Amino acid sequence: MISSPNNKSSGRVILLEDVSVRFDGVAALSDMTFEIEAGEQLAVIGTSGAGKSTLFRVLTRSVALGSGRVTIGGQDLYSLSRRRLNGLRRRIGTIYQAYNLVPQLSAGVNASLGEVGGMGSLRTLRAFLTGPDAGLSERVRAALEEIGLADKAGVRTADLSGGQQQRVAVARLLVQRPDLILADEPFAAVDPVTTERVLETLLHLNSEGATLVLNLHDVEIARRFPRVVALREGRVVFDGPSERLTEDELASIYAGDPSREESARNPDPPFARHGNEGAIRLTEGRDGVSSH
Amino acid sequence: MASPRTERPGIGGAVPRFSWKISIAVLVVLGLTGYSVAGTDFNIVELLRGTGPAERFVSEMFPPDLSAATLQATGTGIVETFQMSFLGALLGAVVAFPLSALGTQEIATAGASRSERLLRAVPYHLSRMLLNVFRSVPDILWALVFVVALGLGPFPGTLALAVHSAGVLGKLYSETLEAVPSRPVEALAATGASDFQAFLFGRLPQAMSGFTSLTLYQWECNIRSATILGFVGAGGIGQEILISMNLFDYPKVATLVGATIIVVLLVDRFSAAIRRRLAY
Ligand SMILES: Nc1ncnc2c1ncn2[C@@H]1O[C@H](COP(=O)(O)OP(=O)(O)O)[C@@H](O)[C@H]1O
Ligand SMILES: [Mg+2]
Repeated sequence: MISSPNNKSSGRVILLEDVSVRFDGVAALSDMTFEIEAGEQLAVIGTSGAGKSTLFRVLTRSVALGSGRVTIGGQDLYSLSRRRLNGLRRRIGTIYQAYNLVPQLSAGVNASLGEVGGMGSLRTLRAFLTGPDAGLSERVRAALEEIGLADKAGVRTADLSGGQQQRVAVARLLVQRPDLILADEPFAAVDPVTTERVLETLLHLNSEGATLVLNLHDVEIARRFPRVVALREGRVVFDGPSERLTEDELASIYAGDPSREESARNPDPPFARHGNEGAIRLTEGRDGVSSH
Repeated sequence: MASPRTERPGIGGAVPRFSWKISIAVLVVLGLTGYSVAGTDFNIVELLRGTGPAERFVSEMFPPDLSAATLQATGTGIVETFQMSFLGALLGAVVAFPLSALGTQEIATAGASRSERLLRAVPYHLSRMLLNVFRSVPDILWALVFVVALGLGPFPGTLALAVHSAGVLGKLYSETLEAVPSRPVEALAATGASDFQAFLFGRLPQAMSGFTSLTLYQWECNIRSATILGFVGAGGIGQEILISMNLFDYPKVATLVGATIIVVLLVDRFSAAIRRRLAY
């Protein structure tokens, strides 16, 4: 397990040593070394293409490792057997910018997928056959309740708004109760109300012991985190408390990023103009969101 | 190459300019055309000369035979054809589904060992091979095989349609499964779902409407195929058509063929309407 009760507040959960990842010969991560403590809150920032998503995918072994070593909860991630790997992954919860829910399934079923990892084949099959409304456990109902979507349990996920879909992804996380939460730009495609709501839930899970690692598009939100790691061209260029994140520091982190220079000129963030969630109905279903 | 004319502004270039590749392609097509015309004794003059006998054949079909006995034989044949095609598509789908699931490559293999990969490759290639055999043998040949093995009648015809449908559907199903957006599936795998679970809850729901649509289309194809399986004694209305042809009973042929056309069109319409609904 990722964090045993006796090392909940101390000890490393994640250890990256000289991690490199290449895609078709092009480096996405280069000799990355850093560690994350159990129970920590960590924000990862950096320009588009800096390697943030690749880092997150490395942490679930969703991408092949070029060289180096990734240790999670004391286990060498890339040399685990398939069974042990699945066991470890069950302790890791993920949220993505593009929600990555199954659009044809109902919100309730998507949320209950948080507990599917622990099921045997027979129970899986039964859960599959009992259908959308019958099989929801108390845990799933409670999770949907908590994120305010109890009445949407039976609605097809593709028919929900972007903000609602991201909340379903959070419900899945609540059902899963992971020790480590990896959120890859969870707020890039949702409205500010949802952002606050989701962030609150994530911080709550963190206060209950889960380690929280977020990849953030929005530096202002990152500033609220005790520790910020900035990536640039696959390397760590900043690692420290957010107070040390000066304007100069930010300028060098985001140097040459056209979208940042744009927003520097226009201080009003694009979504701040919309008051409530209903005002912007964001990308619905599928992989409608471009990846950062 | 860069003549002044190519620099002229405006749209153009829909017709490609000279290139060796295209010239060779044109020569190959022309060559194959000539070769095939010679090989098939293709002859327009012959075709025009045949209009006389064809006219006689068509005029002898009219008026169609609408006697009670013929109508009853037509009805029986049509119903049998319908049943064969439906059961063939259904059985085909039932066989195709598990084979296509095995014949779908899981992408989440980052860091998997060599032996793990090998272990997954075996069922994949076996099911793909089986589906290829099912599909590449035309249904009329399967019908001949089953007629020899089981005797005349609609049963061997249904089996023939089922086997061929399984091959076609299996290939199309697994292509659908592989083309599904992969990120929800990866997201499931990243939180510890087994391959089976990721397939069941990630891939399958996304492929389901595609499956239904493909199966309906296969049923359409089957009803067309089922009308000729009778020519080799494998049941359906084809058998009636062949017998009437051999007896030069052209009015009866007219009724049988007319009824076949109507049923094929009806099934096409029906299935297309459902498929259109599924697309949304
Ligand atoms: N699957 C992939 N195939 C090829 N190149 C990729 C792939 N994923 C990411 N990359 C490349 O790796 C680099 C880092 O990408 P990514 O980790 O997605 O950046 P970020 O999330 O910081 O925007 C980019 O140059 C990107 O083009
Ligand atoms: Mg990214």
